Amino acid sequence: MEKINLKTEKQIVLKAQSGDRNALSSLVSLYENRIYHLALRMLGNEQDAEDILQETFMVMLNKIHQFEGNSSFYTWLYRIAVNLGLRLIKSRSPEKFNISLDDPDSEQIKNEVLSEWHEIDYEKIGHKHIRSKINSVLKELPGMYRTIFILRDLHGTSVKDTSKILNISESNTKIRLMRARNFLKEKLEKIVKEEDLL
Amino acid sequence: MKKINIKFFEVCKYLGEDIESEPCKLVKQHINECPDCSVYVDKIKKVVKLYRIVDNFDDIPADVDKKLFAKLNLSPKKE
Repeated sequence: MEKINLKTEKQIVLKAQSGDRNALSSLVSLYENRIYHLALRMLGNEQDAEDILQETFMVMLNKIHQFEGNSSFYTWLYRIAVNLGLRLIKSRSPEKFNISLDDPDSEQIKNEVLSEWHEIDYEKIGHKHIRSKINSVLKELPGMYRTIFILRDLHGTSVKDTSKILNISESNTKIRLMRARNFLKEKLEKIVKEEDLL
Repeated sequence: MKKINIKFFEVCKYLGEDIESEPCKLVKQHINECPDCSVYVDKIKKVVKLYRIVDNFDDIPADVDKKLFAKLNLSPKKE
């Protein structure tokens, strides 16, 4: 994804806040890919991703004058998108928390060596049905956990920024990320075996 | 081998934080010495790698981009 020079971004944001339409367009162009990708991964389908994309930038247009620069602009914008996404997830289906989101325990880790993943055949990941299976596991994670995984591991957002975006503490972010990764690992154990990915 | 509470994992990279940080050094040492923990961390790394491979950061579809700018009443402009 496109790297953004923070100084340049700050200047664009200031212009956008004074109503400069070109600057507003620039901000949309700078962030539309990231916001669309984030929404697509959070919601799991193109139509919802498009809706969240449009809503996020509508909010940006209407509220950019409220951005005070206390956090980075992308954190502010991501927070809008994430809140809209989580709200939509919640409205669609009350989340089922009957899945295991426990911390890894000594018993579980004691047996890891028996099922080591020596070398994964990453070329097989190109097969559509395998990608689909892997993606469907991500969808099983509750929205908040899924969002943390997407932000930290796919978008490379720092723990600090992820915490700000989600309005939770840094330690809470770390713990939820750990549980999300552990959940995905447990689910992928089965897929790795079924699809003979080793 | 030094006995360590596995909950200690909560503070570490691949489970949340930077493994070079001070609180993680003991854990890192333990991971290096413990085959089970070492395999566990390796799997977590591979999980992340798998999702990065599956994922793609292609540009948004052209029609989605077009509709977005129309909705916002803005002209597309690449900085």
